[in-house]
Amino acid sequence: MDRNMVPEWILLNNQVIDENGGIKDLNKDKEAVKSYFLNYINKKTQFFHSLEEKLEYLVENEYYEAEFLKLYTQEQIAEIYDIAYQAKFRFPTYMGAFKFYNDYALKSRDGNNFLERYEDRLSINALYHASGDMDKARRLIRALIAQDFTPATPTLLNTGKRHRGEFVSCFLLEAGDSLNDISRIGEFSMQLSKIGGGVAINLTNLRAKGESIKGIPNVSKGVIGVMKLLDNNFRYADQMGQRTGAGAVYLNVFHPDIEDFLQTKKLNADDDIRIKTLSMGVVIPDKMIELARENKEMYVFYPHTVFKEYGKDFADIAIEMDKWYDELAENPNVRKRKINPRKLLDQIATLQGESGYPYIMFADNVNNQNPLADKVKFSNLCTEILQPTITSHYADYDKKEQDDIGLDISCNLASGHMGNMMKHKTIKETVRAAMDIMNSVSTKTDISYVPAVAKANRLNRSIGFGIMGHHGYIVENYIAYGSEENIDLIDVFFNSVNYYSLEYSMELAKETGQKFYRFEQSKYADGSYFKGRGEILPKTDKVKALFDDMQLPTNEDWKLLKENVKKYGLYNSHRLAIAPNGSIGYVMSATPSLTPVKQLVEERTYGNSKTYFPMPALDVAEFMYETAYRMDNFKIIDVIATAQKHVDQGISFELGITSEETTRDLQKYYLYAHYQGIKTLYYTRTQKLKIDECESCAV
Amino acid sequence: MARQPLKRKIEEKVKPQFPQPVDFDGANWNEMEDDYTQLFYEQNLSQFWRPEDISLQSDLNVWDILPEEVKDAYSKNLLVLTFLDTYQGDIGMPVVSRSLDDRFHQRKAVLNFMAAMENAVHAKSYSNIFMTFLPSHKISELFTWGNKNDNLQNIMSLIVGAYEVLDRYTYVRNYDPEKVDFTEEEFLEAQWKAMCASVFLESWLFYSGFYYPLYFYGQGKLMQAGEIINLILRDESIHGLYVGKLSQEIFETFDAEKQEELKGWMFNLLHKLYKETSELIETIYDPLDLSHDVKIFVRYNANKALMNLGFDPVYPHEEVNPLVINGLNTETKTHDFFSMKGTGYQKMKTEALKDSDFVFDQPARGAKIS
Repeated sequence: MDRNMVPEWILLNNQVIDENGGIKDLNKDKEAVKSYFLNYINKKTQFFHSLEEKLEYLVENEYYEAEFLKLYTQEQIAEIYDIAYQAKFRFPTYMGAFKFYNDYALKSRDGNNFLERYEDRLSINALYHASGDMDKARRLIRALIAQDFTPATPTLLNTGKRHRGEFVSCFLLEAGDSLNDISRIGEFSMQLSKIGGGVAINLTNLRAKGESIKGIPNVSKGVIGVMKLLDNNFRYADQMGQRTGAGAVYLNVFHPDIEDFLQTKKLNADDDIRIKTLSMGVVIPDKMIELARENKEMYVFYPHTVFKEYGKDFADIAIEMDKWYDELAENPNVRKRKINPRKLLDQIATLQGESGYPYIMFADNVNNQNPLADKVKFSNLCTEILQPTITSHYADYDKKEQDDIGLDISCNLASGHMGNMMKHKTIKETVRAAMDIMNSVSTKTDISYVPAVAKANRLNRSIGFGIMGHHGYIVENYIAYGSEENIDLIDVFFNSVNYYSLEYSMELAKETGQKFYRFEQSKYADGSYFKGRGEILPKTDKVKALFDDMQLPTNEDWKLLKENVKKYGLYNSHRLAIAPNGSIGYVMSATPSLTPVKQLVEERTYGNSKTYFPMPALDVAEFMYETAYRMDNFKIIDVIATAQKHVDQGISFELGITSEETTRDLQKYYLYAHYQGIKTLYYTRTQKLKIDECESCAV
Repeated sequence: MARQPLKRKIEEKVKPQFPQPVDFDGANWNEMEDDYTQLFYEQNLSQFWRPEDISLQSDLNVWDILPEEVKDAYSKNLLVLTFLDTYQGDIGMPVVSRSLDDRFHQRKAVLNFMAAMENAVHAKSYSNIFMTFLPSHKISELFTWGNKNDNLQNIMSLIVGAYEVLDRYTYVRNYDPEKVDFTEEEFLEAQWKAMCASVFLESWLFYSGFYYPLYFYGQGKLMQAGEIINLILRDESIHGLYVGKLSQEIFETFDAEKQEELKGWMFNLLHKLYKETSELIETIYDPLDLSHDVKIFVRYNANKALMNLGFDPVYPHEEVNPLVINGLNTETKTHDFFSMKGTGYQKMKTEALKDSDFVFDQPARGAKIS
C-alpha cells in the first residue's frame, strides 16, 4: 500500500490547491472528474441492454417501487429518460460528481455497483412525483436536468426506491411541561432521527430549575436535564451508523434557565453539563433588545408560576413579551429574577465565537411579518423554517385517546439555482415545478407515528422553496456582493418568486378546493398581506439587461392575485424558505444559498469524506470573489434583508467573522440585523487569520 | 574555576545575569518584552482546546476493518508522538523557560503554556485515541515497544540530552555559584542548543509523525483522529516558530567563528536524528511499503525546522504526497457542523456594547409590510 494505491482522482483533486490553501491548478479538478468517471464510475456501473431490462431488474430485485411506474406506458417512461439523457449533462466538478455518486445514486446491495446515473435518478423523481401526468413529468424532467432546481436531499435520494427513508427530513416539535410530554418528545426525536430527520425542539414551556412539581418546591431540574436526554437520544438513534442524528433545542431568553442553557456549549464546560452534539437556538423578543438599549435590567419569568397564574403555556406568553412584560413584572404571584440583557447578549456573542452556536431568532421581526393567525415560537435546525406551533399535551400511555394533539411542523424543501433560472429565463416554470414536487411529497408523506407532525402536514401542506447559486451568479456577471446592483437584482428576483409561488398555490386551492388550516384568519384572507406589494422592476442598467426579455409581475398582476387569493385561498400555509444547502449545492455546482462563499476553494470535511471544491466561475472571474470573512457584514445583512421582505419563512444566514473581531463587533451585527428586519441568524463561523497575516515572523 | 572575562559585549537583552538579582518583581504585561511574545501569547491562548472536544466514536467503524499491519503502524506512529510530546512538556519547554532570566515573565508564560498544551492536552489526546481504538493489553504492549525500541530511545536521548545540559547549567547558575564551570557565552550556547533541539522536535520530528494520520485524513478516513492531529498541528506550528525566534536572537550574538562551530554541531545532531528517524520509519512503515514516501516528508520537514532556526534548507526540494501536504494547511476548513468540530473555534475577545451601537443611520430595508 503505497502512494499508488490512493485513487488517482483523489490525488488530482488534492492538487487543486497548494500547501497554503491558495489555488494551484483548477484544471486538476477537471482531470479529477474525468479520472473519477473513467477509472471508477463507468467501470462500476451495472450494464443493461435496454431501459426496459433495467427497470424490470430494479423492480424485481426490490430496488424500485413498482406502483408509480405502472402509471405510465413503457414509451412514456422512455420519453422521460430520453429528455434527460439528451441534455448530455456533465458534472463540472469532482466534488459534485463525488457527492452524487457517493451519497445519492442507487447502488447494489453489496455496495459494489452503481445502478443509476444522474439522469436516472432525476427521471425517477420526475415520474414518481408527476403521478402519471405526462405533461407534468415532462416539465419536471426538463427543469431537473437543466439544474434549474433540485428537490431537497431526502426527496432526491429516496424517491422511487422500494426500501427508503422519508422524503422529508425537517421537523419541529414543541415540548409541553409534563413528564409525559417530555417522554413523548424523546421518543419522537429518536423515531425521526432514525429516519434521517433533523429535529428542532422548543423547550420554552418547560418549568425552570428550582420550580415546584406537584406543589413540592424547588425540585424541578429545568431544561438542561432534558437537553442531556435529547443529546443522548440523537447520538444513539443514528441512521444505522451512517450519520449521527441531528437535533436542535430552542429557548426563549425570558426563560430563567437561559444562562445555564448557554453554558452547556462552553469550551471548558464540565462533562456532566456539556452538550456534545445538540445545536442550540435562542428566541429574542424585541423587549430584550429594548431593555438592552436602555441599559436596564430585565426580568426572566418562571414558567410554572406563569402557568398557574394565567393557565397559558409559557412559550405562548414569552413570544408576546411586548404585551405581557409589564403585567408579569408587576404580578407578585409570578416568580421572577433579574438579569442584565447586555451581559446576556455578550454571552451569546462569546459563545458564538467559541462554538458557532446559538442560532438567533428575532421573535418580533418574525411575527410582525407572519401572515398567519398563530404565532411562530421557534425555528429549526437550519433556521429557515418559521411556522406556528400549538403545543400538544400527552396523556398517560393507557389513556392515549385523551392525548391533546396540537400542531408541530414538518417542511418539504426544494431549491432553485438562481443562475440557471436567470440564464434559462425559467423563474415561473421553476417555481411551479418545485412546488409540484414539494406538494407531491406532502401528499405522499404521512408520519403517523408522530401525530402532531402528521396533523400539521395534512392541514397546512407547508413547503419551502429556496435558492442557491446567488454568489456564483453575481460573480459571473461582475456584480459585487452588497452593491446597489446586487440589491436591485435580489429585490426584483425574489418579488417574482414570491408572486409565482402565491399564484400557483392559489391555483391549486382553486383546483382542489383545499385551503390551508385557518386560512380565513390569515392576512391573506383579508388582503392585508398584499399591502405595499406590487411590481418591482429593475432600476440599474446591469440588472435591466439581466432581466431583458423576462416577464415580471406587474401591479395589475398583483391586484388580481390579491383578489384571487381572497376568493380561492391558498393551498399551502407556507411557500418559501431559504435553506443552507450543503451537500446538494455541490451536486448542483452552486454556491450555497444566498450567502457569500467562505473560501475560494472549499475544503469540505464531512464525517466520511474530504474533498476540494473550487467555486463556480473561478476560472473566469476569480478577482470578483470576495470571501465572507472579508466582506462587510453590514452589506451582507442589507442583501439578506432585501430578500427577506419577499420570503414568508426564513433565510439561513451565517455570519463570518475573523479572529480580530470582538464580541462588541459581533453584537453590532446582531443589532443591525435586527434593525433591518432579519428574522433569524444561523451559525457564526470564525476564520482565524493565519499567523503570517497577523505579524511578520519572517522565518 | 574563575570566571573568564567577557571577550565581547553580549547584547543587553540576552545577557544572562550572574547571579540572578535578589529583588522580586511581577509580570507587567503593559510593557512589551519584545515585539512578538505577546502576539504568540494571544495566538496560543486563542487556540486552546481539550482532548474531550473530539468524539472518536465514529472512527471506530473505519478502524475495525483496517488490516492489522495498518493498525500497527498507525498506533506505533502515535506512540512515537506521545513520547515526544511527553518530554517536550515535562522537560523541554520548562527547561528553556527556567533558563531565561527571571525578568522574562511573559516569555516564560508563553513557554509554560506551550508545555502544558503538550503534556496535558496533546499527549493525553493520543491516549484518548488509544483508549478508543485499542484494548488495554495492546496499549501496554505498545508502550513497552516504545521503551524497548532503540531508535526511539536514541532520539529521546539526543534531544533530552541537550535539555539536561541546559538544566544543569541553570541550576548551578542559580543555586551553586561556587560550582560554575562555564562562561556566560557557554551558557548561551547551551541555551541555543536546547532551543535547537526543541525546534527539531517540534517542527521536524513531530511533523514526520503526522504523516500517517494525515494520509488517512486526506482520504476521508479516521476523520476524528485526523481532527485531533489538525488541532495539534496548529499548535506545533506556532511552538516551533516561537522557540525558533528566541533561538535566532541568541545566535545573532555569536561571532562568525562560533556560529560556524554551532552550525557544525547542529548538522551533526541533524544527521544523527535523521539516521535514527529513518530506521524507525523503516521499522514502522516497511510492512506497508510507505517508507520511501514518509522519508520524503521527513526531509521536507527538516528543511522547515532549519528555516525556523534561521538557516537555509539543506535537502533538495521534493514532491510530497499532496494528501499529506493539504493536511498541513491550518487555515480554517469549512466543515459540516453536524459531524465534525472544526478548527476555527477560539476564545472571543470581549468588548462591551456602547449605547450608540443601538442606533443605525442606514435606511431600513426590512419589510414595512405587516
